[in-house]
Amino acid sequence: MPLEKTDALMSLRDLKVEFDTRHGRVTALSGISLDVKPGETLGIVGESGCGKSITALAMMGLVPNPPGHVTGGSIHFQGEDITRARARRMRKLRGGEIAMIFQEPMTSLNPVFTVGDQITEAILLHQDVSRTQAEKQVVELLATVGIPEPAKRAQSYPHQLSGGMRQRVMIAMAISCRPKLLIADEPTTALDVTVQAQIFDLMRDIQREFGVAIVLITHDMGAIAEMTDRVAVMYAGRIIEQGTSDQILDNPLHPYTRGLIGCIPVLGREAAGAEALPPLAEIPGIVPPLHLLGEGCAFAERCQLADDHCRAQRPALEIPALQNGGHPVACHHAGITTRAELPA
Amino acid sequence: MGTIRYIFRRLGYGLILMVGVVVLNFLLIHAAPGDPAEVIAGEMGGITEQMMADIRARYGLDRPLPVQLGIYLANIARFDLGMSYYFDRPVSQLIGQRIWPTVLLVLTAQVIAIFLGVVMGVLASRRPNGPFSGFVSVFSTVGYAAPVFWTGLMLIILFSVIVPMFPVEGMSSARFRGGGFAYALNVAHHLVLPATTLAIIFLAQYARLSRASMIEVLGADYVRTARAKGLGEGPVIFRHALRNAVLPILTVAGIQFGNLISGALLVETVFNWPGMGRLAFDSVLRRDYPTLLGVLFCASGVVVLANLVTDLSYRLADPRIRTGGR
Repeated sequence: MPLEKTDALMSLRDLKVEFDTRHGRVTALSGISLDVKPGETLGIVGESGCGKSITALAMMGLVPNPPGHVTGGSIHFQGEDITRARARRMRKLRGGEIAMIFQEPMTSLNPVFTVGDQITEAILLHQDVSRTQAEKQVVELLATVGIPEPAKRAQSYPHQLSGGMRQRVMIAMAISCRPKLLIADEPTTALDVTVQAQIFDLMRDIQREFGVAIVLITHDMGAIAEMTDRVAVMYAGRIIEQGTSDQILDNPLHPYTRGLIGCIPVLGREAAGAEALPPLAEIPGIVPPLHLLGEGCAFAERCQLADDHCRAQRPALEIPALQNGGHPVACHHAGITTRAELPA
Repeated sequence: MGTIRYIFRRLGYGLILMVGVVVLNFLLIHAAPGDPAEVIAGEMGGITEQMMADIRARYGLDRPLPVQLGIYLANIARFDLGMSYYFDRPVSQLIGQRIWPTVLLVLTAQVIAIFLGVVMGVLASRRPNGPFSGFVSVFSTVGYAAPVFWTGLMLIILFSVIVPMFPVEGMSSARFRGGGFAYALNVAHHLVLPATTLAIIFLAQYARLSRASMIEVLGADYVRTARAKGLGEGPVIFRHALRNAVLPILTVAGIQFGNLISGALLVETVFNWPGMGRLAFDSVLRRDYPTLLGVLFCASGVVVLANLVTDLSYRLADPRIRTGGR
């Protein structure tokens, strides 16, 4: 498929990633297409095992190989297909133009080096500066991400910092070379709720200051509501719904997306007099193992609306013909919320 | 600041341990059958009862055991290890001559074992299911299972008899005349086979351990972070991964030091290496109690020191221990 001219910073087209497992070769990502525009925040949301972290690693060119392989499609970054880039070129982009922060700040920093050394290393790798200059930058960066006594903290080892502080260090390392794209893979999952809010605030500040585009990977619809401009909902290695954050949150078309939104707890439910709010929901069942996916819709087993058509034929991701407009969704019953509404 | 206090505390424990070693060995040796006076008499070709009694009196062997132990401990406190029954020279002098060849042998073996073991482990961890990894697993199992004297004899047959590259025995050539560098080279040439023999058992363990340790560390989140930074494979493996993977190897290296010294006893016997192991072996055969006790005392001192060095290097390598964190 020829790449249409876009203003996107990064474009994934029909990306396919497969893994060799003891069940044979399974498809972790089957045809992901996404655009990330400069300076925006794109949310990728889904449960564990839906392929969102693999999508992030593919964007970094870090799909573990073996056992993983990018077997189809393309990832264009500023017009360059990085699935075909040489290892040397990828190392230049990684940490320089595209940076990543990870889920586990407790284990993502090397325990035997000071945090200052670890950031300095990234700077020296991508910028033509002396060690002294790099170390000066580190102190400035640590101050930027809100670490008190940055000069002293640069000499600390990771175990001497709290989880929130370590994630701030990871963010400082990620932005040290002014990347154009920052991929955040569940950056707050391992942190306390109050610290989560601080980290999101910090990411917003950084986006304002540096104009960096952010891909926020999460299973938390609350984070989506708070942070993102656009959202892609993933399930079992595919995008099943895509739109602006308002479209997804206010008018979710896929039953899975509605299920995810139903999982957001509302604080002070009774106090707000919100008897009208539905009770806190859960989605029954788990994501099916990838090697057991059949021909039909992967969500059918867990879906109240599923019928024989759903189990036999996988719906394509397309804009449904609905009166109140719509956005791309992969569901035969897009827009229907209860079994009663199903056509006979 | 903490480190100095730590060293003194550890040395204190070490001293207590060494006294324990001396007492235990003293009692064990005297519990074993055999009488030094008879052995000395046998060497002299038969003597009278009167002369036997004289010998016993001279070495204090006629006193009650607790008294003998007390005298021995008091002497050790003055760094007096006694007189050898057999060599008729101060034990400290004998050990002083023999300790350096053993230290040379043991340290060389340890360095070879750790270096090659880690290199093999790292290479094997790159492809955990590859052929080289399989070779390392088999080699380390065989190397660990083979008795050290057998390995030594096989190396002698291979490299001294079939392909005569290295001398069979001794520490330097009998007719060697020369000093300084040439002498060092001559010793190094003699050192190759015994050090390799001793290294092979321990090499096997280090290879296994570092393979497992590297496989674990390469899957760690901080290695992924290092790659995400844009680092190449070289720095990722040698700076970020290996630095963490050597920590368990350091621990084992310290624990193994005692085994290394007992292994040296066998190797020194096979290769006629003039070290403490040979001295211990000879003094066992001759019931030379003071010499044997002296050797064991010094060996336990070396082990205590080696463990201290291990702990210190551990503190150096892992900031979590140095700074008392999780």
